[in-house]
Amino acid sequence: MYDLIIIGGGPAGMTAGIYACRQGLKTLIITKGFGGQMAQKSVEIENYPGFEKISGFDLISRFENHLRRHEVDIEIDSVIELKKNNNGFLVLTKSNKEFKSKTAVIASGGDPKSTGASGEKEFVGRGVSYCPVCDGPLFSNKDVAVVGGGDAGFESALFLSNYVRKIYILEYDSKIKASPANQALVKNIKNTEIITNASLKEIKGKVLVESIVYNDLKHNKEKSLDVSGVFIEIGYEPATSFILDPSLADFNKKKEIKVNLDNMRTKTPGLYAIGDVVSGKCKQIVVAAADGARAALDISHYLKNE
Amino acid sequence: MVKVYSTPTCVYCATLKQYLKEHDIAFEDVDASKDEAVFEEMVRKSGQMSVPVIEINGEIVVGFDKEKINELLNIKEQQ
Ligand SMILES: Cc1cc2nc3c(=O)[nH]c(=O)nc-3n(C[C@H](O)[C@H](O)[C@H](O)COP(=O)(O)OP(=O)(O)OC[C@H]3O[C@@H](n4cnc5c(N)ncnc54)[C@H](O)[C@@H]3O)c2cc1C
Repeated sequence: MYDLIIIGGGPAGMTAGIYACRQGLKTLIITKGFGGQMAQKSVEIENYPGFEKISGFDLISRFENHLRRHEVDIEIDSVIELKKNNNGFLVLTKSNKEFKSKTAVIASGGDPKSTGASGEKEFVGRGVSYCPVCDGPLFSNKDVAVVGGGDAGFESALFLSNYVRKIYILEYDSKIKASPANQALVKNIKNTEIITNASLKEIKGKVLVESIVYNDLKHNKEKSLDVSGVFIEIGYEPATSFILDPSLADFNKKKEIKVNLDNMRTKTPGLYAIGDVVSGKCKQIVVAAADGARAALDISHYLKNE
Repeated sequence: MVKVYSTPTCVYCATLKQYLKEHDIAFEDVDASKDEAVFEEMVRKSGQMSVPVIEINGEIVVGFDKEKINELLNIKEQQ
C-alpha cells in the first residue's frame, strides 16, 4: 500500500514525487515516460528560472535525475483505470498490474489534438507525427507540412529547418497566432511557406505519406501539396481516458479537472490533480511544477490528519 | 540480437534505452537520422518513419511497447 500514487511523469508529476519523498511518503510514479510535453519542445526553453536557455531533453534529465535520487518507486507503464475503493485508490495498468494507495495524484497532462482529417490516424508513424523533435531528423532533404500556425507550429518549423528541404506551415485562421519573435525567426529561414485560411482535408499515400489536400477557405478551392511528412501542432487536450468513473472529479467544458487551486484537491477526498490536466489557465512548466509541490505538501497534512 | 533505431533528440528513445540497460539487455544503438542506408533499412523492416523502432531477434516492435518487449526478451518485472 503506497501513501500516494502519481499518474504521469511530466514536470508536475516529477515535482510532486520529489516533494512527497522529502515528506517521507511512500511514493509510486506510474508514467509512460519522463518529461511529458517538455519532450516536444523543438527549440530551447527560455522561461524556466535558473536556466536562461536549456533544451527540453536536458531539463527532463535534470528533473528525472533529481527525482531518482530519492526513494521513489517507478513504473514505466500506461494507466488504464483509476478506481476509488474503501481504503483509498486502485490503479490498473496496461501490463495488467494493480497498485493500491491511500491518495492519488493525476498528473497526466495533455495528449496532442488530432485534426480529424482523413488519413491522419492511418498514417501515424508513416509520415504523420506529433513529435517533430523525435521524428524530424528522419525527414532530411524531404518536403514536409506543419499543421498549426501557433508558437508550437512555428517552433517546430525552426527545428525542422535544420533537416528538411521545404516546410509548408498551414494555419486554419486568416491570421498567424505565433508570437512576433517566432514569426521573425521563421521569416529568416529559407524555403518556408506560410499558408493561412488552410483547412487540412486529407493525408494521402500508398505505404508512406506522399501528399496532403487542404481547402483554401478564402478562395473556396481544394489544393494539394506533395510532402513526405505532416507534423500536427494544433494544441493539446486533457489526458484523462483512465478516469472511467466521471463522478470521481468535476470537469470544465474543456474536460479539464476542477480543483481547489490552493491545495490541488478534487472533490473526492484523497484525490488530487495537477499540471496541464487541471482547469488553470496558465499551462507552463513552472506552474506544473508548483502544482506538484502544493499537492504533495497538502497530502502530507491530509495523511497525518486522516 | 537487439537493435534500437533512434534519433539523438528523441526522449522516448532515451527512456527505452534506459529500460533495456536497467534489465541488462545488450543492444546496438543506431541513429536512423545520420545515415540514409540505416534509415532505409528501418523503413523497410518496420514500415515506419518514426522512432523508436526496436528489432529483437528479427522481430520488429514500434515504439516503447513494454509488454511486447518484455515478452520477446523474457523480462520479468516484480509486482
Ligand atoms: C511544443 C510545446 C512547447 C512548450 N514550450 C514551453 C515553454 O517554453 N515553457 C513552458 O514553461 N512551457 C512550455 N510548454 C508547456 C509545458 O510543456 C506544459 O505546461 C507542461 O509540460 C505540463 O506538465 P504536466 O506534467 O502537467 O503534463 P505533461 O507534460 O503533459 O506530462 C504528462 C505525463 O503523463 C504521462 N501520462 C499521460 N497519460 C498517462 C497514462 N494514462 N498512464 C501513464 N502516464 C500517462 C505522459 O506520458 C507524460 O509523461 C510547451 C508545450 C508544448 C507542447
